[in-house]
Amino acid sequence: MDPLDRRLLGELEGGLPLVPEPFHDIGNRLGISGEEVIKRLQRLLADGVIRKFKARINQRLIGISANALVAWKVPDTGDGDAGPLLASYPGVTHCYERTRVPGKWNYSLYTVHHGRTRVEVLDEVREISEKTGIRDYVVLFSTKEFKRVPNVRIGENGRGTP
Amino acid sequence: MNGDAHLERIDLMLLDALQDDIPLVPRPWAALGTRLGLLEQEVLERLGRLRDLGIVRAISPILDSYHLGLMATTLIALPVPIERISDVAAIISGYPEVSHNFQRENTYTVWFTLTAESEERLGELLSEILARTGIPEGDILDLSTVRKFKIDVRFSHVLNGRLEEGHGSA
Repeated sequence: MDPLDRRLLGELEGGLPLVPEPFHDIGNRLGISGEEVIKRLQRLLADGVIRKFKARINQRLIGISANALVAWKVPDTGDGDAGPLLASYPGVTHCYERTRVPGKWNYSLYTVHHGRTRVEVLDEVREISEKTGIRDYVVLFSTKEFKRVPNVRIGENGRGTP
Repeated sequence: MNGDAHLERIDLMLLDALQDDIPLVPRPWAALGTRLGLLEQEVLERLGRLRDLGIVRAISPILDSYHLGLMATTLIALPVPIERISDVAAIISGYPEVSHNFQRENTYTVWFTLTAESEERLGELLSEILARTGIPEGDILDLSTVRKFKIDVRFSHVLNGRLEEGHGSA
């Protein structure tokens, strides 16, 4: 990544402009061609700097009002096996392994689920539990969202500002 | 439901298509339109409307934290008494290193994610947050990320469900 890449990512943070040739538009702001913008974006995607280039959607407005973090307790040796299995369910948007807090919180795998209703989310969690054989879990529904932003914001915490 | 009555079938298809990477070509909306049987102009009009409605926040790159030098991340849970939750949550949300901050149904009421360049920095931030909120360190859960198996925020299953059930007018 060079400084121009960072400026490019900074420009794109607000979203691709809704004009017929948006990359050309972005290039104009940076003094480079639309082709150069596309080339750089392809490289940043290939390198894994950009994970996805897609729409961020306000899920509540499309009727997704139930959101749960589910913590799963798996046998000591089972984390590695169960992770990809849990991750494979289409309703799971995130799947992480996290450290346990011995004696206090022995869950180690975490999934995030979104659905239109709590019943829908609970049905999915129950199904996953049955299929994976992981019986010990806790469903943590969110009741209030205080903050939800991308975890990397070039201008704010991604060291994008020169 | 939540004000989503205005969505037409084509909008749902468009939203579904936008869960994948947009085409990196000079005229991406035209390319998207070709896939969905829409003209470029119609794609732009619908996207503009979805943006004005607040449904599409932005079509933008989602960046990988490691590649941007943010090497450490953790999930913190705090047992905040109900009457203190909004004050504590406001302090936490003020940190740029916090990206997600939710109230959840559990003894641990406030759950937030913290991302920084190093474990040391995470520790400093956490100490500061605990000092400012008056939550004893022994009461919290610090659940560091060990491995990421999946990060793929897409709602295709819900959108498809709505399409199958015939939500959205033709």
